[in-house]
Amino acid sequence: MFSYFGGRTVGKGTYWNLSSGERFDVNENAALPGAPGERYVKLPAGSVFICGPLAGFAFALVIPFLFLFITIMLLPRTVHASNSAAPGDEAQACLNCHATPGMTMTFKDMTSMDLHVDESHFRNTVHGFLTCTGCHSDVSLDTHPQAQYANKQQFLLHLAGACRTCHADGQIMANPLHQRAITRANAPPCSECHGSHAIRNVPARKEKLSSTQYCLTCHQQHLSTSINGESVSLTVSEEGLRGSVHSRHGCTDCHTSYTKTAHPTPEFSSARELAITASEACKRCHLDKAIQHNGSIHKAMLVQGNTKAPVCSDCHGAHRVGPHALAETLSGVPCKKCHQDIFAAYEGSVHGIARKDGKGQAPICSTCHFAHGVQPAMASRSPKDLCMTCHAQVAAKHEQWLPNTLAHFDAVACTACHVPAGFKRNIYLRVTDGSSGLMLSDTVMRALLGTGKAAVAGGKKITPDQLWSLYRNMNNGHTVAMTGMVNLNNQQNAHHLAPKMLAVRQCDYCHSANSAFFQSVSMAVAKPDGTEKLYTVDSAALGSVFAMLPLNQFYVIGGTRLRIMDYLGAAMILGGIAVPVVHGTFRVLTARLRRQRQRHSEGG
Amino acid sequence: MQRTYLHAMPVRVWHWVNAASFFVLIVTGAQIRYREAFDLMSFRSAVDLHNLFGFVLLGNFLVWAIYYLATGRLKVYIPDPNLKNFVIGTLKQARYYGYGIFVGEPNPHHASPDHKFNPMQQVAYFNIMLLFLPLQIVSGILMWDIKRFAMIIGMAGGIKVIDAVHVFLTLFFTAFLFVHIYLATLGHPWTAHLKAMFTGYEDEPGDAPTH
Repeated sequence: MFSYFGGRTVGKGTYWNLSSGERFDVNENAALPGAPGERYVKLPAGSVFICGPLAGFAFALVIPFLFLFITIMLLPRTVHASNSAAPGDEAQACLNCHATPGMTMTFKDMTSMDLHVDESHFRNTVHGFLTCTGCHSDVSLDTHPQAQYANKQQFLLHLAGACRTCHADGQIMANPLHQRAITRANAPPCSECHGSHAIRNVPARKEKLSSTQYCLTCHQQHLSTSINGESVSLTVSEEGLRGSVHSRHGCTDCHTSYTKTAHPTPEFSSARELAITASEACKRCHLDKAIQHNGSIHKAMLVQGNTKAPVCSDCHGAHRVGPHALAETLSGVPCKKCHQDIFAAYEGSVHGIARKDGKGQAPICSTCHFAHGVQPAMASRSPKDLCMTCHAQVAAKHEQWLPNTLAHFDAVACTACHVPAGFKRNIYLRVTDGSSGLMLSDTVMRALLGTGKAAVAGGKKITPDQLWSLYRNMNNGHTVAMTGMVNLNNQQNAHHLAPKMLAVRQCDYCHSANSAFFQSVSMAVAKPDGTEKLYTVDSAALGSVFAMLPLNQFYVIGGTRLRIMDYLGAAMILGGIAVPVVHGTFRVLTARLRRQRQRHSEGG
Repeated sequence: MQRTYLHAMPVRVWHWVNAASFFVLIVTGAQIRYREAFDLMSFRSAVDLHNLFGFVLLGNFLVWAIYYLATGRLKVYIPDPNLKNFVIGTLKQARYYGYGIFVGEPNPHHASPDHKFNPMQQVAYFNIMLLFLPLQIVSGILMWDIKRFAMIIGMAGGIKVIDAVHVFLTLFFTAFLFVHIYLATLGHPWTAHLKAMFTGYEDEPGDAPTH
């Protein structure tokens, strides 16, 4: 009833446009300006003095409700942003410098750290509402830390204190990994796992990440643990992982007890124990190789308590497992990590040189020693079977010039001739069980010897008569044989294999009593790990009559001849010469007598 | 002076081939065994020559065996089966060598083609030709290819035993050679036996060593 619209003719009075608040005074009938949709109210000018206070009172009643609404809407942010009085200005001041890529800080140890901060990355993190000083509380526009930290780690540990101002110990310790990590003396700073500015909200990311990516969240950081004071890196290079032959595998394929929700924290007594235990995972897929390894000298060493003996990861690496072919290259072969001297010898050998010259079929470590079932070097056995896997025609070639080739092959190791003569040789008397043909174990030998084991107990040279006594005692109710083998004094020198023109070809090297090859003699039995136990034998045993039976299968003409035959021979030949000398002398002395008798008979 | 055709051509050829073989085998054998003592030839050459003349000796032995078996003259090597005659003959011969020869007594044995050896020679050559030499040849063959004959060598007690036998027989032969050559000088004149081994004819009954 008090409403009037634009264009309508109205009587005298004061009209108020509710849209624009404009006032129109009408003295006589006239049309209101504006479109028909514009509403006007007719009120006397004086009514303002009444309506104003009434409206103010009504607004005062609404104000508390407005405050309540705003508080509810902004409370969470307000709590966290208690220090962010003026975020925009302060952050901008920091970013004036820190948004510049390539900005670095150098520590006292002369290492440097990237100080570039990408604001957009930061704003999208869970801490995006914070301003710089929210964490870097010791930094302001007035105070800015200089390079007062010894190193990056010290700086990051200092910053980790800022995290704990908001994240209470209870919250942190709820995670067993944190519990384990933080209580350590060399605990990693929070940023090692969570990052620095692009702070990850781990639970939120869990669902989106693959298990591998989840693991790498922490493990591709500079993560380490300490086992009895020994620092062990837990860092895994994603790049290395992806470049490995296991690139299509996830972490949990090997680390089966770990999932996104389960992270056991097993205890190890040493870093080595951790590596050995971790390598057990490999056998899940590589059972055949594990079985071969179980029969190897490396495994035997491990069983005996030598933790330096290699396990899978020592040769193949833990996460950067290279292709099979890489381990069979001069640069990639893992054996040289432990066997440097031997590998150096190999590199200078005919095989190593052939490899260097690009002859890929030339043997490398695993060709002769096998990659997984690595067997101990047996000085008392010739490696001929191995050699002949490549040199198949070797017997026929030797037969062209070497009499009794196969007999030589039985008693002379390939390495005894094919390593240059400058390296010392040794005669090995291999004690074998007559029934099985296998090398007799040291334990069995001592048991067979019973009270007669004094000869092997003292560590002195076994004399020829003691050798005979040993042989007789061992054969008391048992059948034991001894076979001889010429080989190198030190098996490591077997890797100095030379081209065949440098091989020992002169017969005299062996077939002479003065041969340097027969100056040292050892009796070989087997140790529990399959390696050889050597007892020193007096080299005179080789030519002794006491060795007639023990060494009845080992004889080098001229070299290990029976010395007693020399004396016997001298006596026999002197006896033979004595007959004509003595008889002839008598004939000469009695010649006159015969002539007298002949004259006498002719005269008579 | 009586001329007797004592050594037929095959026997004389066999004897000198045998002598040459013995000489080469003893020298090369010594070179093989005592490499460090003297250096007539390389070890390898000594082995090759030793093997070669070893087979020459074997072949020659077969020639000897076939000849003596075919002609039935093998009996000259066989001592008198009558023990009494054998013992008396041996004692007589021993007395001659140990005493009679010095005082000018005649040799109790008179060599003829069918009765070539005196009882002492019969014992010696019977053993040498039918036991020692075959044993020497067999042990030599076993060592010539020890892998091929490994089983026999093993049954015989091992290579060291075979070698010991081979060397012992060599020493015996070598020692005997001095006696043999000395006995060859006991003819009248002292070259008579030696000449007979070339011509076949023995001019005077004497102490022919024959071999």
